[in-house]
Amino acid sequence: MKSPTTTPMKLLLALDDGPGARRAVDEAIRIAREKGATLDALFVIDATWDVFTGHDWLSGCNSRIGFLEYMQGLEEKAAAESARAFLERRGDVPGELLTAPGDVVDVIREHAARGYDLLVVSSPFTRGLEVMRDAVARLTRDAPCDVLLVRAAPE
Amino acid sequence: MEDKGLFGKILAIVPGLAVMIGTLYVLRVYVEPWMKDAVVFGSKGWLVQVLSLNYILLSILTGMFYRNILFGGKIPTWAEEGFRTTRLFIKTGVIMLGSLYTFDKLLKVGGVAIALIVAFVFGTALFVLWLGKRLGADRSVTATMAAACGVCGVSAAVATAPGVRAKPVDLALSIATILGFGIMTMFVSPFIGKMLSLSDYQFGAWVGTGILNSGQVLATCLAFNPNFAPGTAVAYGEIWNVVRVLCIPFVVFFITAWYWKGEADAEHVSLGSILASKFPIFVLGFIGMTALSSLHIIGAEGSETLHLMRDVMAWVFGIGLVGLGAYIDVREIKAAGGTPLRIGLIAGVSKYVIAMIIILAFIPKEGAF
Repeated sequence: MKSPTTTPMKLLLALDDGPGARRAVDEAIRIAREKGATLDALFVIDATWDVFTGHDWLSGCNSRIGFLEYMQGLEEKAAAESARAFLERRGDVPGELLTAPGDVVDVIREHAARGYDLLVVSSPFTRGLEVMRDAVARLTRDAPCDVLLVRAAPE
Repeated sequence: MEDKGLFGKILAIVPGLAVMIGTLYVLRVYVEPWMKDAVVFGSKGWLVQVLSLNYILLSILTGMFYRNILFGGKIPTWAEEGFRTTRLFIKTGVIMLGSLYTFDKLLKVGGVAIALIVAFVFGTALFVLWLGKRLGADRSVTATMAAACGVCGVSAAVATAPGVRAKPVDLALSIATILGFGIMTMFVSPFIGKMLSLSDYQFGAWVGTGILNSGQVLATCLAFNPNFAPGTAVAYGEIWNVVRVLCIPFVVFFITAWYWKGEADAEHVSLGSILASKFPIFVLGFIGMTALSSLHIIGAEGSETLHLMRDVMAWVFGIGLVGLGAYIDVREIKAAGGTPLRIGLIAGVSKYVIAMIIILAFIPKEGAF
């Protein structure tokens, strides 16, 4: 991590809607306050449902379009809820709230490579279809910056 | 999103499509003939005869290898558009399959197929609705699994999801369960069929009734017997499959109505609106092709035209099945779990076994054509 005496530290928080989401937000805010850092929060709208349902070759076009629109609606709703929860707790910590569509891990990695010092992610990371995949392993493999994994609070 | 224009879109398809075509070419021209000659356990052609490793299963396995090993779990961007044509190939193949029948032949087995399919589709759906309640499953999970286990896997889950407000996680787990079960049955069924000396008629009827996903019904029938002709496993299996596909809108209506009955803010769902949005239009192509065949427009059995058409069909399906394999992500299937997995396994195994018992008891070895 960079020293706060040089350029201000930049943190990226990958938002998710899993069991560890709240702790990851709190941890990112705590670090940002301690280090006087900027904190950007990123919510990726999972756009891989079309590929995931590739085995669906029987549905009519209308049926598939209806399904993908339905999933898009749910993703947007999740984005709005995560954003609201983040903004409620962020207080005076500077930073932006970002939303981008795509493959969740790819988009987070792309953003993390844009000069961030630390990426904060909850573990397990359960955004969209990443619930089925090993998102944390993919994010930490050749990570473009330091990564902090925040476990879900014990039950 | 960047608009590539028509030429750009066609160009984007080329790399992935070239991989699929090249793969099938190598498998059909070099690998399968080698396997037919290879001596394993002292028996020539054991790999093909016992394990059914013909070009159909090899296509799927190679597609799975590409996705999970070579591509590291994700179809790369350069190949994405090409692999996306998979659905088009399989649908085209199914439409061409219509040429294997004439209406009088369809009538001979149609009654049995309709009776069995309707009984199994609605029987399974009702069983899952009951099972879901017993297991304390969420109503939307139960509804999605009822459609997926009752009709044809992923397509039915996709068609039902919006109407029953399926949650993304549950839906993902349901689809993973259906695919996992289907892949297992796809590799095991030809072996069981040969062990029990099932005829093509019996095998097609069993697989068409018992396997959850339509793509896998097709692949399993072709793994059992890779020939395209009247009276082969794929010819019988596809009749069952088409009847099942036609059930999709009715099952979606039935399950959606069941779901909304228990919800306070129920919306009106009409069968007409569901038929309009969920009807699988490509089935009309299949029926159209059967009409051409019935009118002897395509050519008589044994004609050059039909011979060529069946050869094309084998390539069309083979290419599509390489793509089908490439859509199978082992990580996603391994992640299947929770209530959808329990429901899927109980319903799937019951359907598979009961279908086998009924076929052995009531379906004769000799097919109707």
